Amino acid sequence: MFNMAPMIDVVFLLIIFFVLVSTFASAERLPMELPQPDASQAQNLKLTDRVIINIQLADPADPDRSDVIYNFGPSRVDSLAEISSRLALHARLVPDLKVVIRADRRVRYGDVREVMQAVAEQGIEKMNIVAHVGDLGPEQ
Amino acid sequence: MIRTTEQTTLPEPVVHFKPRRRRAPRESTVLTLNLAPMVDVVFLLLIFFIATTTFKRAEGILPSRLPKQSGLADQLAPPITPIVIDLRQTGPGPTDYAIRVERFVNTPTTFNELAAFLMDVQANPGFDDETPIVIRAANDVLWDHVVGCWNAAVRAKYKSISFGLQ
Repeated sequence: MFNMAPMIDVVFLLIIFFVLVSTFASAERLPMELPQPDASQAQNLKLTDRVIINIQLADPADPDRSDVIYNFGPSRVDSLAEISSRLALHARLVPDLKVVIRADRRVRYGDVREVMQAVAEQGIEKMNIVAHVGDLGPEQ
Repeated sequence: MIRTTEQTTLPEPVVHFKPRRRRAPRESTVLTLNLAPMVDVVFLLLIFFIATTTFKRAEGILPSRLPKQSGLADQLAPPITPIVIDLRQTGPGPTDYAIRVERFVNTPTTFNELAAFLMDVQANPGFDDETPIVIRAANDVLWDHVVGCWNAAVRAKYKSISFGLQ
C-alpha cells in the first residue's frame, strides 16, 4: 500500500511556508522599482488615513525617462490638477490625511517635485516616501 | 422372508433436529480516514499559493513633513542657517551624480560618505541634530539619488530635513 504520510507532511510544510511568506498584492501598490538607498532607514509602518500616489515610468526603455504615469490610489490620473482636486476632497473628509509617495527610482526628481508641490498646496503636512527596507546586498 | 409394502413405505421417523448453524463470521469493521478529499484540497491550496506568490523585497516608509499652507521648504525663512545639499545629475548613468554641501569644502562623493560627513558636522560648534537640512536637487536628478540623500540625512540623525528648489 502506498504510504501517504510523508507526502502529506511535506505538502503541509510547503503550504505553511507559502501562507507565511505570501503578501497579497495591493491594487494601490503598483509594481515598480523602488529606491534602494544604502543602509535604508525606511520603516515598515502601517499608516491609517493615507492615500498613495504612484509615479511610474511610462516607458522604462526610454533613456530620457520623460513620460511618467500618475496613479492616485489604484486609479490612473491624467494630470496634476486632478491629483490636486482629489487631494482636496480627501483632505476635507480626513483631517489628518497622510500622503504616501511611491515613485519609481528611475523617474526624474522634477516629476516627483510637482506632486509634492500639489500636496503642500493642499495644506497636507504629512508626506511619506516609499523605499526598500534594508540593504540590497550584492547584485543578483 | 417376504416384506409387505406397508413395511417398505413406512415413513421415516421425523426427527425434529436442526443442526446448529454456524454463525457466519461477522465482517470486521475497521474505521479508516478517507484521505483523498483532504489531499485534493491541500494540493489545490499548494498550487494556488505557488501560482500567486511573488517574492519581493519589503518596502518601508521614510516619514517627512511638508510646510503647512505653502510650497516647498525654500519658501520659508528658517531661523537657523540650514545645511544645504545640492544634487546634480552629471550623466545618464545611474551612478552619475554629484553632491555638494554649501559652505563646506570637503564634500562627499557618495551617500555613505555623506551620512558620515553629516554626522561629523554635528561635532562642529553651531551644528547639532536640530540643524535643518535642505536637499536641493536639480529636476533631472534620478529619484533614487534624492531618496539616497534623504536617507543619508536620516542616518546622520537629523530631525529636520526638507526639500528645496534649485
